[in-house]
Amino acid sequence: MANKPKDNPEDYPTLGRWMNWVDQPGNDRKIFWALVVVCLACFGLEWTYDKHPYFDIESVKGFYAYYGFVMFAGLIFVATCLRMVIKVREDFYGNKSIDTEEYPEDQIERIEHDA
Amino acid sequence: MLDLLHQIPTAFLFFAAAGLIVFLPHGITRNIVMLGTPIVAGAQIWTMGMGNFAQMPFFGFELELMRIDNLSRIFVLIFCLAAFLGNLFAWHLRDTTQQVAALAYAGSAIGAALAGDMITLFFYWEGTAIASVFLIWARGTEGSFYTGMRYLIIQIGSGVILIAGVALFYADTGTIAFDKMTLGEDMSMGSLATWLIFLSFGMKCAFPLLHNWLQDSYPAATITGTVILSAFTTKLAVYALARGFAGTEILIYIGTIMALFPIFFAEIENDLRRVLAYSLNNQLGFMVVGVGIGTEMALNGTASHAFAHILYKALLFMSVGAVMYRTGTSKASELGGLYRTMPKTAIFCLVGAASISAFPLFSGFITKSLTLSAVAHEHYTWIWLALVFASAGVLSHSGIKIPFFTFFAHDSGKRPAEAPTHMLLAMGITAFLCIFIGVFPNTLYSILPYTVDYQPYTMEHIAGQLQLLFFALLAFAVIYRAGLHPPEVRAVNLDTDVTYRKILPSALAYLAFVVIAIFKGLTGFINTSILRFVDRLHHSHGPDGSRAASWPSGAMVLSIAALLGLALFVIFFS
Repeated sequence: MANKPKDNPEDYPTLGRWMNWVDQPGNDRKIFWALVVVCLACFGLEWTYDKHPYFDIESVKGFYAYYGFVMFAGLIFVATCLRMVIKVREDFYGNKSIDTEEYPEDQIERIEHDA
Repeated sequence: MLDLLHQIPTAFLFFAAAGLIVFLPHGITRNIVMLGTPIVAGAQIWTMGMGNFAQMPFFGFELELMRIDNLSRIFVLIFCLAAFLGNLFAWHLRDTTQQVAALAYAGSAIGAALAGDMITLFFYWEGTAIASVFLIWARGTEGSFYTGMRYLIIQIGSGVILIAGVALFYADTGTIAFDKMTLGEDMSMGSLATWLIFLSFGMKCAFPLLHNWLQDSYPAATITGTVILSAFTTKLAVYALARGFAGTEILIYIGTIMALFPIFFAEIENDLRRVLAYSLNNQLGFMVVGVGIGTEMALNGTASHAFAHILYKALLFMSVGAVMYRTGTSKASELGGLYRTMPKTAIFCLVGAASISAFPLFSGFITKSLTLSAVAHEHYTWIWLALVFASAGVLSHSGIKIPFFTFFAHDSGKRPAEAPTHMLLAMGITAFLCIFIGVFPNTLYSILPYTVDYQPYTMEHIAGQLQLLFFALLAFAVIYRAGLHPPEVRAVNLDTDVTYRKILPSALAYLAFVVIAIFKGLTGFINTSILRFVDRLHHSHGPDGSRAASWPSGAMVLSIAALLGLALFVIFFS
């Protein structure tokens, strides 16, 4: 399947054309800022209900927000470091693994969307 | 008609169907049997009511083939549903081996879940191992053959350990009933028995350090085989733990480690089906913690989580499988931007991602929270914090990585056609169920093992979960935009299986080299020593030797004459 970066979006299925909005120039920034707004709104929810925490730490305003952000960032950082230690070339296990094998062509059905 | 149906153990329905389809032509007739069997089986279980049915004598034992209670029923029902959806996804298959294996595998898993004694459990336990390996071998490549062999050794090994434990258990207690057991703390035979059974369950459940078969084998199976594989073996092990070891505290810590460590590996894995295998391992961790807590709420959490998990995990495997069916690869480094021409598959994948990430209104939300609440209720602070972290980790690899790097992110330039209709139908039904369970939690809660007194949709719970997920998403967005997210590259990451796949064979090869060298050296030395000795002997005593030259034949005559003279002398005086 050759690269076709200049294909015509008009040929995509209807749903694909709609979803193509996300790749229009500038829209990634819109999505990002929309996410920021949603996050702030979720943070704001903290003042709208009474908490019945199991643990003291849950009483901290926005605990889940801080925890989610920090731990997610930590996860990415640790995983990146882990990769430096455990990454090996794809054919490390040779013919005793499927890592470098092509999936058998007779078991799949490659069709281009405009075929 | 129903009465007749109730006489047949559910597993036998699947085995009969597996035997029958061999004689049916490929196509619609065979597929109707493939889809009809799980429906009939599900209807059978649903209408039979609770109790023990189908006893069978076996070498002096009384086997219980059909124990239907609140715990086994929910697992059997979801196994039937999973078999139906998996077989629908595989509608296009024209491979008798895979079709027979799929039915026999589902039948074995269901038989094991219904087993009232541990001998029956053992037979079906091994049945799942033997039937499922054909879903790996069916790929038909050299790599899948070796992977299948590794898988089979571990799965059969689990069964052998199980029967050893059962034999000791019987010798100690005089019973083979499969009920709650207690892990022994002394060195007695009974203690060894329960530990062996526990170890056997742990192997199939992919406990930490026993987990590698999962990430090794699932990506090696066929496209449809992986969908089937993802449903049964591990959840059967979770069921077995819930049945045999509920409330065993060590499971809380094992489960927490299981929930945590795979998220790091999943984050940097390139093969998306292996990412899902790590993700599966992580989800099992939540279930194992629930079993370890062992309260009614926690066991409800485990059962409901297993139910929801089978659906959304199958959905994710289906969506990646559909992409593989159209592009030939499941490597994140080769994919991206496929939403353009596979938008329906992309949306189904997003539903699966939202479900596993436990967004409100999706199935994961109403099931995972049961387990988390049970943990909080028992005041395991650190375990709770670890599981909340693991929940954010789930979002990372299954919620973001799978859909984002397959269908969005950079444009791979691939423009495959949408998945075939039957795959879309299977994904559509599964996605619908994920949302339906999320929106109407009581439908699932009503079939859980114990009465549910829990309300997932409270403002506090929704707000907390949304904060966790959206701020984790924000962290991803910030890191991705900053270019700090680890790129998808073609590589393999080492896991502990490197010990038995590489280090141990290398060490053995080195040991063999040393032993051979010593053996060759010794035998060579002995051989050359003997040869040299013979040479020297020949040199001195041979026909041309110096000894031979100094002893002429006259000397021999003379010595004989002397000998005869001596004899005469002795005779004369005696």
